[in-house]
Amino acid sequence: MASCHDLNEDINVYNKPNKILLMGNPNVGKSVFFSYLTGINVVSSNYAGTTVTYTEGTLKLDDETYTLIDVPGTYSLEATSEAEAVAVGFMCSNPVAVICVLDATNLERNIKLGLEIKKYNVPIVYALNLLDVAKRHGTAIDVNLLSRELGAPVVPTVAVKGEGIDKLLDELKRVIKNPEKAFDCEGCKTCPNCAGDSLNEWDRAKEIAAKVRTKTEGKPSFLDRLGDSMIKPWPGIPIALIVIVASLGAIVGGGKALRAAALLPLVNNVLVPLFHKLFSAFVPEGILLNVLVGEFGIFKIAFEWIIALILPYVFLFYVVFSFLEDSGVLPRLSVLFDNIMRKMGIQGGSMITILLGYGCAVPAIIGSRTATTKKERLIISTVVCFAVPCISQTGALISLFANFSPILLILMLLMSFFIMFVVSFILSRTLKGKVDPMVIEIPNLLVPNGKAYGKKLMIRMKGFLVDAEVPMLISIIIAALLKETGLLDYIAVYLEPIVSGWLGLPKDAVIALILGIVRREMAVAPLLAIEGLTALQAFVGGTVALLYLPCLSVFGILTKEFGPKVAITIGFSTVVSAFAVAGIINQVAHLFV
Amino acid sequence: MRNRYRRGNRHGQKPDLQNQSIYHAQDNYQYTITKAPELAILKSLGIVENASVYKVMTHRLGGPVLIKVDSSDIAIGKDIAERIMVRR
Repeated sequence: MASCHDLNEDINVYNKPNKILLMGNPNVGKSVFFSYLTGINVVSSNYAGTTVTYTEGTLKLDDETYTLIDVPGTYSLEATSEAEAVAVGFMCSNPVAVICVLDATNLERNIKLGLEIKKYNVPIVYALNLLDVAKRHGTAIDVNLLSRELGAPVVPTVAVKGEGIDKLLDELKRVIKNPEKAFDCEGCKTCPNCAGDSLNEWDRAKEIAAKVRTKTEGKPSFLDRLGDSMIKPWPGIPIALIVIVASLGAIVGGGKALRAAALLPLVNNVLVPLFHKLFSAFVPEGILLNVLVGEFGIFKIAFEWIIALILPYVFLFYVVFSFLEDSGVLPRLSVLFDNIMRKMGIQGGSMITILLGYGCAVPAIIGSRTATTKKERLIISTVVCFAVPCISQTGALISLFANFSPILLILMLLMSFFIMFVVSFILSRTLKGKVDPMVIEIPNLLVPNGKAYGKKLMIRMKGFLVDAEVPMLISIIIAALLKETGLLDYIAVYLEPIVSGWLGLPKDAVIALILGIVRREMAVAPLLAIEGLTALQAFVGGTVALLYLPCLSVFGILTKEFGPKVAITIGFSTVVSAFAVAGIINQVAHLFV
Repeated sequence: MRNRYRRGNRHGQKPDLQNQSIYHAQDNYQYTITKAPELAILKSLGIVENASVYKVMTHRLGGPVLIKVDSSDIAIGKDIAERIMVRR
């Protein structure tokens, strides 16, 4: 067990007074507790110098205000991983109390962590969660005996239904008021519970679990059986494919609906005219006014793009993704597709991060921090930049191919998978370092808890607005300046040979190439406006857009996470591959037509 | 007549019941671990020497092994699973 003296303690959050820690294994439902116990003011932060994030909120108990910290889930406190080191850091920072959430369906391991936490001598209350699932699995637990064995209050809870939370708060208040009474043992030197190292803890945990648990008649629910069947290839893989297709449908359909019904009218009828009037009142006609509110003006495009085009799809993406995450579907997908990921040189867990990239590459690259090696992070990030279209680009591509045969869309999908495979394969053979194989625990399949889900969604949207929107705004300003000052048309002349000759696209497509540097769907959108586009041209144009540079926001995050050299290399290779592949498709097609 | 050619399990190896890798072991059996790689994540999950685990299945084509440790479901990638040795 890591000692408090070994730690670097100059982190700000440590010095906060009145901290209560929420700890437990991953997947026990800590975030559900967190959402019940805290209000709206919730902040998700990154732990300085690590890739670990934790969430803070305020908890009011009677008259006292506390900072409740949702510490990242850990299997133990042996400080062998970053998350564990952070957890130990929090335990050593003089918290007022600890709420340790135990999973009733995995007693041994959870009790082991519970015993490790107890050694830090902080007043503790245990929440025995997932009791409803344990009952379905045929397990009954003697809570009173468990409480005596652990020497601390144990409150039975079903967090997703909100059961037991009040009692938990009562016990918490009691434990904070009387810290000495929380322990039945007389101190670590005399108490057999506290003696020894981790191996003793495992044995002690197994001993306690065996004492308190009895087998009963198990009645697996539909979800339990579905969860079990989803991790086997049959019927797992067909179910997974249905889930993926349904998710895409929900995102694109829901996004379209949100855009058409609420956001587009808001932008076109309220925001744009408002700002137009505002600026026209005191800015004279001319370039400046055009840059602000003209056809491609900042205050027109910013609203059109961000609010009416990007936001609905990103929001729907997070709605669906967070649902898949909280219900326990995502790790099952990792299991089903691990063999394919392995052939690509990565592992099943990376799939979740790549799927995140179908929403927006920025959170995917940030999310790649969960990968255990730098090589894996680089591969995932590069694959996302090359061949994973963000949700806005996907929407634009679907619109582009809407007028043609659906085969085009399928071909584009297959081609994107092919490129992903090739890029990943090559990188895994050329980059130094290794990729750790997958070892994951598969959580129970559950209906997500509404409160926790809503909180998570809100935190995600907030994060997106900060990480991606600010660079987006800068890109829009650049786009507006380019267009309204005529610089765009000037540059277009020079790019014509490549666009018309090699790629076979009409002259107007050049705008797509230039604006594509700024925003990914802007590499597609100008094509929609061109009349008389042939199927081949649409496909070639779509290919360029797909493989082309990631947008400026992504460049920003790449530079931040990996440094400018990596960002520039990725930028360069994506441009080259975009022109090469699309051009080859065009030239080869012309040989046959 | 068919069985003449099927010595060993479907991975083409003759199983030594006292020491085989969990990757190749027969599905739906309880095993005791005799040797496991020294990885922190395995230790945290309870996959250590002398632990008793239940093997559910091995996914084909290089996929993971599904096991149950106490009551938790765990999936382990092929490259690690091949190095976890078990006995019946």
